[in-house]
Amino acid sequence: MHKSKSMYPYYLVLPALLVYFIFFAFPALIGFYYSFTDWRLDRTTIQFIGWANFERIFSDKILLLAIKNTLIFAVVTVIGKNVLGLLLALGLNMKLKTRNLLRAIYFTPSILSILVISIVFTPILRTEGMLNGLFEWLGFESLAQAWLTNPSIVIWTISAVAIWQGAGFQMTIYLAGLQGISKEYYEAAKIDGASGWRSFWNITLPLLLPALNINLMLTLIGGLKVFSEVYVLTGGGPGNASQVVGTIILRAFGEGNWGLGTAVNTLLFVCVAIIAVPLIIFMRRKEVAE
Amino acid sequence: MSIRARSFLYHLVVEILLILLALVIVVPLLLMFLGSFMNSVEVMQFRIQLPEKWQFSNYLTVFEKGGLGRAFLNGIVITVISCLVNIVTSSAAAFILARRESKLSNFLYLFFFMGLIAPMSTITTIRVVQWFGFYGSITSVVFVYAALNTAFSIFLYTGFVKSLPKALDEAAFIEGANIFQVYLKIVTPLLLPVNATVAIMVFMGVWNDISIPLYFLPDSSKWTMPLSVYNFYGMYSREWNLIFADLVLTSLPVIILYVFAQRFIVSGMTAGAMKG
Repeated sequence: MHKSKSMYPYYLVLPALLVYFIFFAFPALIGFYYSFTDWRLDRTTIQFIGWANFERIFSDKILLLAIKNTLIFAVVTVIGKNVLGLLLALGLNMKLKTRNLLRAIYFTPSILSILVISIVFTPILRTEGMLNGLFEWLGFESLAQAWLTNPSIVIWTISAVAIWQGAGFQMTIYLAGLQGISKEYYEAAKIDGASGWRSFWNITLPLLLPALNINLMLTLIGGLKVFSEVYVLTGGGPGNASQVVGTIILRAFGEGNWGLGTAVNTLLFVCVAIIAVPLIIFMRRKEVAE
Repeated sequence: MSIRARSFLYHLVVEILLILLALVIVVPLLLMFLGSFMNSVEVMQFRIQLPEKWQFSNYLTVFEKGGLGRAFLNGIVITVISCLVNIVTSSAAAFILARRESKLSNFLYLFFFMGLIAPMSTITTIRVVQWFGFYGSITSVVFVYAALNTAFSIFLYTGFVKSLPKALDEAAFIEGANIFQVYLKIVTPLLLPVNATVAIMVFMGVWNDISIPLYFLPDSSKWTMPLSVYNFYGMYSREWNLIFADLVLTSLPVIILYVFAQRFIVSGMTAGAMKG
């Protein structure tokens, strides 16, 4: 025991620990403190003000809307990316002639910058844009919408763009999971007379659980941290209809409301932790049980 | 109908559906690609059609008007250095954390793991950078990116080091090698594929990002490609051919990387995913 300790010295952990601590963990920790202060651009002194920032968050309509939008975006993209990603993976796990090409096509958007995708979608989603033009051409005029300027649907539009971009990434992880399932299981099920649907429920899905878990985690955490899509597509507009937590923090930062911005960030941190930590513990237990 | 014919038909239907759905992905990308070669009138139709005349000069114009050369260099410097810092520090740390099985190493691993979940506290990070006195510099952005990616890299490296037999290092120790020799000559060569994966994942994440420069680089001469493109988009919002050319140029490095290093991307994602 003593020997192995001296062989792997902890000072090799130090560089990573320093970088991570100074530029990530420490700011997160002091964020809790600053959330309870009136820290502003134009003040030289910082005072402790208790829960005032949080009271303001929960009484400000725009801030509440931003929280609601963030939750809508997270839930919609988690469902959309995972359902589509899984369906694509199931399809592209079959022996199709074009499957390598199709896999590459579906994956491509996820390597591009959100900025690129968002700008490309601007002329498509405008009221006189390509999408409404397509609906008109197909004779579905009634489907045409003011995708980016109608306050009641704008957050859904942004979620749809995020799904368009991200589903291929989830697909790749599901595909890897599917490829890890031995064909023998299916052959045995076939001999036992199980239908395709039953072998999906009883073989594919349970064995896909690790991939499912990681995809749920990735999409959920990513969804709650949403920023760039909204920033580029609408800037939080029209009015404040599509503000999310990420854009609110930028706005608070720009206005010099640093204490308030940090409080919003802390709230996001707590939300993510409340959702993610039990999920991780649950996943770990499951794996140990296996 | 025989089982064979049914299976053939089933495959055919799935394939046709998937090809049709792929059009939904392809059309917006084609709109950007083809549009980048059109003239400024033609592009405003926003149609999928070949340009009347392929106007390659759009790309030159973009470089001159958008100051993209500078942004490209900034992007390369920031991306490459943060990749290097991240790889060196994370692989060394993960090597120790994976080999030691003590309470402290478990705690440290969990501490790093938290970084996969916790959102970055941007405003206070700016505060810390200001304390150090290098707010607004490229150096600060490099460290922030290295820190942001530490959790994911350590997670990947630790999983991989654990799969390497400890007997390898022990044999070297017995022959009198020290920790650096073991790390550099035995572990690092075996880590090459993971290094490639980490490098590519960090590269893509940093290259594509707009949020960090937005907060940390008030001076636009230090911006990376995507943020410069965003600025350009605001200034030239009527010349879509130039905007599209700009977007293609921004995407080119990651596309090239993807074409040549595809297997590392997929293996890295899935290794990270499956070990999680």
